[in-house]
Amino acid sequence: MVPLYGFLEGDTLGLLVLAHDGMSLRELADRLRSAAIVRVEVTGDVVVMVRGEAADESLTVAEAGLRALDRFDVRRAPASAQGLA
Amino acid sequence: MLHREDWIDLARGLDWELSWATEEDVFPTAISGEPALPRAAWVSWEEPFRTSFREYVEMQAEKEAGVRAVREAVGRLSDAQALDFSWLNGVKLHSAMLPLAEFAAVVGNLRAARFGRTSAWRNAALLGALDECRHAQIPLLVMHDLVKWDRQFDWTHRLLHTNCWVAIAGRHLVDEMLLLADPIEFAIATNFVFETGFTNLQFVGLTALSDQVGDHLFRSMLTSIQTDEARHAQIGPPVLAVIAQHDPARAQRLLDKWFWRSWHLFAIVTGFAIDYLSPVDKRAFSFKEFMHEWVIGQYRGSLREFGLKEPWYWDEFVRSLDHYHHMVYASAYTYRATVWFDFALPGPDERQWLAEKYPASWHQYDGIWQRIAERWQATDPGVDFGVHGTSIVGFCHLCQIVLCCGTPERNDAVAIEHDGKPYIFCSEPCRWIFEQEPERYAGHRDLVKRVLAGEAPGNLVEMLTQYCGLTYETWGKDARAGSYPWMKRPPTPRRPGAGA
Repeated sequence: MVPLYGFLEGDTLGLLVLAHDGMSLRELADRLRSAAIVRVEVTGDVVVMVRGEAADESLTVAEAGLRALDRFDVRRAPASAQGLA
Repeated sequence: MLHREDWIDLARGLDWELSWATEEDVFPTAISGEPALPRAAWVSWEEPFRTSFREYVEMQAEKEAGVRAVREAVGRLSDAQALDFSWLNGVKLHSAMLPLAEFAAVVGNLRAARFGRTSAWRNAALLGALDECRHAQIPLLVMHDLVKWDRQFDWTHRLLHTNCWVAIAGRHLVDEMLLLADPIEFAIATNFVFETGFTNLQFVGLTALSDQVGDHLFRSMLTSIQTDEARHAQIGPPVLAVIAQHDPARAQRLLDKWFWRSWHLFAIVTGFAIDYLSPVDKRAFSFKEFMHEWVIGQYRGSLREFGLKEPWYWDEFVRSLDHYHHMVYASAYTYRATVWFDFALPGPDERQWLAEKYPASWHQYDGIWQRIAERWQATDPGVDFGVHGTSIVGFCHLCQIVLCCGTPERNDAVAIEHDGKPYIFCSEPCRWIFEQEPERYAGHRDLVKRVLAGEAPGNLVEMLTQYCGLTYETWGKDARAGSYPWMKRPPTPRRPGAGA
């Protein structure tokens, strides 16, 4: 398991997300959205940010270079800005 | 008999002329603190209000009698039960943060009473230690009366003995500031920043608020404590004056470190009470207004007096007045079972008030509360875990508080690597404090690292009960079980075949 600090745009705190090396960034983003759902619901397309840069969602956690206790962000994609509940 | 004015200066200034021991023997730098200045540097040390031991005892006896009288008059269980439910939870929060921290301050004061560099300072610190004994005892006594009604009040004594995340954060601050700091750092951190800068004024603000909500016992307790604080806080400015003159860089560094650390704790304890855990119709000011009126102007003025500057992160601090306590409250509400007091859900009136008081930022929080209210509407009253987070949250490696700096749009957390190991901080100032003394902080494990190391359970309920010392009876819940008069639940569908 790879524990990562996830920050969802619109949320009030950082959460620990347990991932694994082969998980895609899309799955990682979904896991964070699910963990934050009591406070915020982000619908529509999102962008996963790794080290401040938008990353390809099809990359795996390992391919994106994420290591234990790294930070990643999930932000609304510009086109779905209205999707933040 | 001599008049007081004829002997007080002599009595408070009995510094020995050392002959067979050196200054370093008697006041080792490792304990007395840096910079190691010659005795001559301290001769001008002067406290504004001089108190003899006799005066102290007489004054304290009167104050004790005052608190006792109020407790006898309005300290009945029924008096507490008549108070607003949200306010009572602010009292639980505030009371639990006080006594054991105050007890730790006894140690800090006693260290100064032995290793402070002038007799007048040592005398003032001795009285400060006696003050802090009272401040540990009074809340323990007052809140103990309420334990038989509500076990959460037991956390007045229990909190800092547990592994609740607030206790871990509290100990991280208190251990360094009160138990470990040398007298110079103690005086600047505790007497100047924490007491003069924050808590002395906090007591004034909370006293006004407790008056508004009719909590006369809490007001009496705060007033009694505040008058002590105002006296022993005066140790800070003359110590800072000496350090600012001889080592201004150290003075500035200590101020910047402790202002940020104090701010975080203060924002939670006082920000929650003023903006969330008090009845909205009794609120005379917002937390931000309170900070501007009572803390910011006063603190900036004090810094200028000593030729020092505002902390390098001042702009970030001012911005955080619109956000930090809102970020933490919303986060803590949705993890309320991890603490020992209940939370009030801000309803339409409260949210309207907050929108008026925080026009630049509230729109970022209102949707969160709307969503939480809607989840409660879809959940049976009292089913707290239907409106509760279950994931593990991240904690700042420095302040040990949840990663809540910045705004909902952009969290300020910073992840770094130090000596090949990962660390995360809630903010740049916390990172800066860590990097000033990494050897001091690097080895401390936050709650996440304790879970990953197998020291604490990863399952939330197991963590609460087996590691944090909470029980179903004591862990935090929604103060109204999620059922508010303004909340309209959809009618419960009747089960097929159910009787009339």
